[in-house]
Amino acid sequence: MGPSLLRPILVRAASLGAVLIIVLVLMVLILGVTGFSDRILDAQVGEELRALRTTISETTTDPDAVEEVIAAQRTALEEQYGLDQPWYARMPAVVAQVLVFDLGDARTIRAADGSNSVADIILERLPRTVLLLTTSLVITAVIGLTLGVWLSTRPGSRADRFISYVAAITNGLPAWWAGILLILIFSFWLRILPSGGMYSTPPPEGAIASFLDLAWHALLPILTLVLVSIGPSIYVYRTLMLDVAMQDHVTVARAKGLPESRIRRRHILRVAAPPIVTGLILGLAASLGGAILIETVFSWEGMGQLYFKTFSGEPDETVIIGLTFMFTLLYVAARLLLEILYVFLDPRVRYE
Amino acid sequence: MRRRSLVREVLASTAGKIGVALGVILIAASILVVLVVPWDFGPSRWSNPSVWADYPKAVPPAWTAVLAADEPVEHQVIEADEPSESTARGDARVDVYDLVYEHVADEAPTFLSFSLADVTYLDRPPSLSVTLLRPDGAEVPLLRTTIRGPRPGEEPPFERHDETPLRVLLTAEPEVAQATSEMLAETFGVDIPARVLRDDIAAALFGAPDENGELQPLPGTYTTQVRVALAQPDDDLGWVRAVVGGTVFGLLGTDGSGRDLAQGLAFGLPIALIIGLAAATVSTAIGTSLGMLSGYKGGRVDLVIQRTADVINNVPLLPLLIFFVVVFGAQLWLIVTLLVLFSWPGLTILVRSMVLGLSGSQEVEAARALGAPSTWVLRKHIFPHTAPIVFLQLIFFVPAIILAEAGLSFLGLGDPSLPTWGQILEDGFRTGAVFLGYWWWVVSPGLLIVLTAVTFMLLALAMEPVVNPRLRRN
Repeated sequence: MGPSLLRPILVRAASLGAVLIIVLVLMVLILGVTGFSDRILDAQVGEELRALRTTISETTTDPDAVEEVIAAQRTALEEQYGLDQPWYARMPAVVAQVLVFDLGDARTIRAADGSNSVADIILERLPRTVLLLTTSLVITAVIGLTLGVWLSTRPGSRADRFISYVAAITNGLPAWWAGILLILIFSFWLRILPSGGMYSTPPPEGAIASFLDLAWHALLPILTLVLVSIGPSIYVYRTLMLDVAMQDHVTVARAKGLPESRIRRRHILRVAAPPIVTGLILGLAASLGGAILIETVFSWEGMGQLYFKTFSGEPDETVIIGLTFMFTLLYVAARLLLEILYVFLDPRVRYE
Repeated sequence: MRRRSLVREVLASTAGKIGVALGVILIAASILVVLVVPWDFGPSRWSNPSVWADYPKAVPPAWTAVLAADEPVEHQVIEADEPSESTARGDARVDVYDLVYEHVADEAPTFLSFSLADVTYLDRPPSLSVTLLRPDGAEVPLLRTTIRGPRPGEEPPFERHDETPLRVLLTAEPEVAQATSEMLAETFGVDIPARVLRDDIAAALFGAPDENGELQPLPGTYTTQVRVALAQPDDDLGWVRAVVGGTVFGLLGTDGSGRDLAQGLAFGLPIALIIGLAAATVSTAIGTSLGMLSGYKGGRVDLVIQRTADVINNVPLLPLLIFFVVVFGAQLWLIVTLLVLFSWPGLTILVRSMVLGLSGSQEVEAARALGAPSTWVLRKHIFPHTAPIVFLQLIFFVPAIILAEAGLSFLGLGDPSLPTWGQILEDGFRTGAVFLGYWWWVVSPGLLIVLTAVTFMLLALAMEPVVNPRLRRN
């Protein structure tokens, strides 16, 4: 690609990178100014000292000796966590580390292999979230496009009006509540699908059985996500197609006597493709946040559920910062991908 | 687009008709709730366990009885604050309260309890007796007690049970078991010892033995008669109450703490509407003014506003919302402010592009040429053209805000002093209502959220072709 294509993408990348840094700095600032960071670290030091006190009380009976060890350990710990400095001296290092993906260690949360590195924990959970979101997105897109294109040939028909109502209603349907309803129906009443989790207990042996078990557990959450997004997506594709179908070049193509299927493929779909791709990627980015709710409902151990867990119990600062950074990074990356694809798909975009 | 024709166009479509009808119902209902329910409903009633002590825990709505094979007992709280009969003897008098219960179910109640409150007396403490009058004429003495006497140094009038009512779970009292056993022996000649009855006094109280000596429910009118002997004319009793424990309750059932879901959900309606409308209005106002400023002023102002909008537009909303609410605390005003702060940029970008288009129009140029100040031009020659779209966005914002608040509440981040639909749902989900099959606890709040959101979606759907005439061709 020529410089005329590269430059706008680079500009966009720089601006999205700025978003990432702004979010990170703002987050760290807020954690510091509100004293939230100090509180978390204080609690952490207190907890470790309590554990230490129990251990040494078993070996020593002299209370003075115990206090001395504890006091020494407190100073050491405070230094280790940076509590001897104010937050504004401690935080810049945190920002710098996170920006180079050095996400630090979690306090209580562990990855499956026992690693307490936040990067490991996130990398373990990221594929699970991506699996859930992309599978449902692909299913929604395939059904949505098929029905959307079909509907666009019959605007104003009964099916068309029906879909517009379905779209309006499912727009007001929170995915997490739809998930609860599906658990009630399929898991509690019919008892044919698991209510949550990712694997059965005990987990099945072997790769194939294990994968099937995972798919079995993913069925309800994916069904939920497809159910709440299918109506609006059909409606959006239908409207996009209709918009293009009313443009002059389509009328000209028809006047030339081209076959309808060729018009639809070459003259409508080709032109409607960029906004369709935009919609898809924006949908994926938007569903990232929604993953927090849907994974909580289905106890799906992805990034969203981890995010919720970090906040609901004892907050763990390194995990909070690492995860929020990753969420923002993924979101921003999706946006950037969008810009790049746009340049390729739409020959009119040249930013000149 | 003139205001009147907008209304006419909206009402012309089916979506518009349904949307307007639902909207009117929702607003009327929430005005009613605001007028009837005290503003401190959250702390004073909903989160106050003593209010719900007499209610059954986690029972389905009463209308589910229609679907049940056996007619279940509807939980009933029978209360009286005026005596049905009063006999005076000099200064002293005996007040009689009749608490009438119609037993129609195919099973026995789960329990019978008695409570009273707000007793005032001058010198001698009132005494009372409670008797159950059965439809077959039999009588069972249930309780005989005297209100606590004056404490040393206490001055009359003496007030008793004004804060916590006196509450007796009659079907757990050994004396009641004994009396019931005696009643069965006298009336039916059946000998069931009190210690055998004790586990199931209610079945005997509200039943009769069949030919095999098995207790069967006895339908009919039962009266819990309370006789109170008061020594002075000014001695008084606030209310007496009999509670017949049932397995179904009210319109929407109860939650795990026995709270009446109908009351909590009714209170949630005005809250949802106020949150949605307030946040949407402020957000639209900010979005529109910044968009007009940005488009009309241009230059550095434009740059700053557009960059800020761009940053906010490119951050993941829910994770950051959760982050802010956890760090700053779950207060309603904060949640609403955050929702506003995160939702204006889309509209700003839209309005700016419209203003840029309008700025070059002949109308605006003419106004400028006549020397109109820029605020005048913005207000009179630019805003009216953007108004329909802005209004449509306002309607679109409302459900988005309501759903966002519900989602936050569902994660346990709602303002604890105000019960919202999302919080009731969270309460149910967290305590396992879904896995125990307490569907009424999670279905009705969700339905209300959807109904409210859909109302505004339908209004927006009906308004869209009016505002954006290009859509009218299809």
